[in-house]
Amino acid sequence: MSGRSAKVLAMQILTVSQFVTYVNDTFKAIWDPTLVALEGEVTEFRVSQGQWVNFNVKDGDALVSVFMVFAKLGQPLADGMRVRLYGFPRIYPKYGKFSFSADRVELVGEGALQKALAMLRAKLESEGIFDLSRKRKIPRFPQRIALIASRESAAYGDFIRIVDERWRGLEIDLYHAVVQGEKAPDSVIGCLERAQKNGPYDAMVITRGGGSLEELMAFNDERVVRAVYASKYPVIAAIGHERDITLVEEAADIRGSTPTDAARRLVPDRRDVLYEIATLEGGIEQTLLQKIKNGRDTIDRATTGAERWLESFRLKVASLLRLISSFNPEAIVKRGFAIVSDAQGNILSTIEKLKPGTSVSIRLRDGEAGAMIDGKQGKLI
Amino acid sequence: MTKKKIEIDFAKSFAELEEIAAWFEEGEPDLDEGMKRYERASELAKGLKEKLDEAENRIKEIKNS
Repeated sequence: MSGRSAKVLAMQILTVSQFVTYVNDTFKAIWDPTLVALEGEVTEFRVSQGQWVNFNVKDGDALVSVFMVFAKLGQPLADGMRVRLYGFPRIYPKYGKFSFSADRVELVGEGALQKALAMLRAKLESEGIFDLSRKRKIPRFPQRIALIASRESAAYGDFIRIVDERWRGLEIDLYHAVVQGEKAPDSVIGCLERAQKNGPYDAMVITRGGGSLEELMAFNDERVVRAVYASKYPVIAAIGHERDITLVEEAADIRGSTPTDAARRLVPDRRDVLYEIATLEGGIEQTLLQKIKNGRDTIDRATTGAERWLESFRLKVASLLRLISSFNPEAIVKRGFAIVSDAQGNILSTIEKLKPGTSVSIRLRDGEAGAMIDGKQGKLI
Repeated sequence: MTKKKIEIDFAKSFAELEEIAAWFEEGEPDLDEGMKRYERASELAKGLKEKLDEAENRIKEIKNS
């Protein structure tokens, strides 16, 4: 009797609230989300008020409803996708509804990833995030850049090697990022945000090497894509191999097909630039020499002109002298004419003053002779 | 080859060199000005070449603080 009543006395009576708390605490105690995940196919996916996500996961025999906060979704979901859920089973106190409260969703299988990717790409595209019109250029000679990569990765090594081969004097701020797995999106976003504060940068480079679609998923994460889109500084992204095009690369200003290609797009080849400098310098020198030569030619031309002018002046003077000499009376006498003068030596050019008996002097080529006028006759000519 | 830090603004110097080259191509012959610009161009080209030959790429890890 006493034992039975003791049992009755030991019986705990729980209120409904206590019951729900009890069950939820028990789930919490036995369910370790780092060790257990729930996997199934999504059905009846819906988002309410842009904040809450509800859907079911099922397999052939059972179905569980799932609840989560929209902000934690991280990628688009659709009915038929296979997912793995991390979180806790719990009863929602108000309605007594049992559901799985998920903190994180992982897509399972290439098919689900591809489908989610296609949906997100379409959504971001409709927002204009990949618009070519907003792509920015990087300066031809960048001086300071931010590099977001894993310091241990082959991608980092390849990128630095090619930059070193091609260019000198570049300042690289390395932001070490986790580039794969669950922590990768937050790590890459953290790097992007810190780099915005530490700028200005001529460019930001985000790179990682090749991997499976699942390994590259951080670079298809909506929040990472938006952070790249929002960057104040132009972004060069090179994720994976040539054939993998992640959404981060599509949102970036410039896409490199590989880490080494990103380095080539970032900096010119110094040998080309050295050649260009030599050409510019040579051109300047040539032009200057040409100008000096032109100057000398002008002086030469001016001198020659002056000489030529002097020569023609000299010739003119000579012909004038000849002309003047032709007026010399001596020259006239030489040609057979005579000059008649009176006793005083005045040259007589008319017969007016002459009377018969006047003595005159006649000058011919070789001497003078005295003569006397014996008559005169007017109007000869 | 010893690499060192060379403090010239590469982009700015290169642009100035290009500008001088353009001046020589188009400009009227003014020999005094030409000599002045030629000297400046030689100085710029020397600095640029020196940077491309001797400067080093510097990597600094920015730790998460």
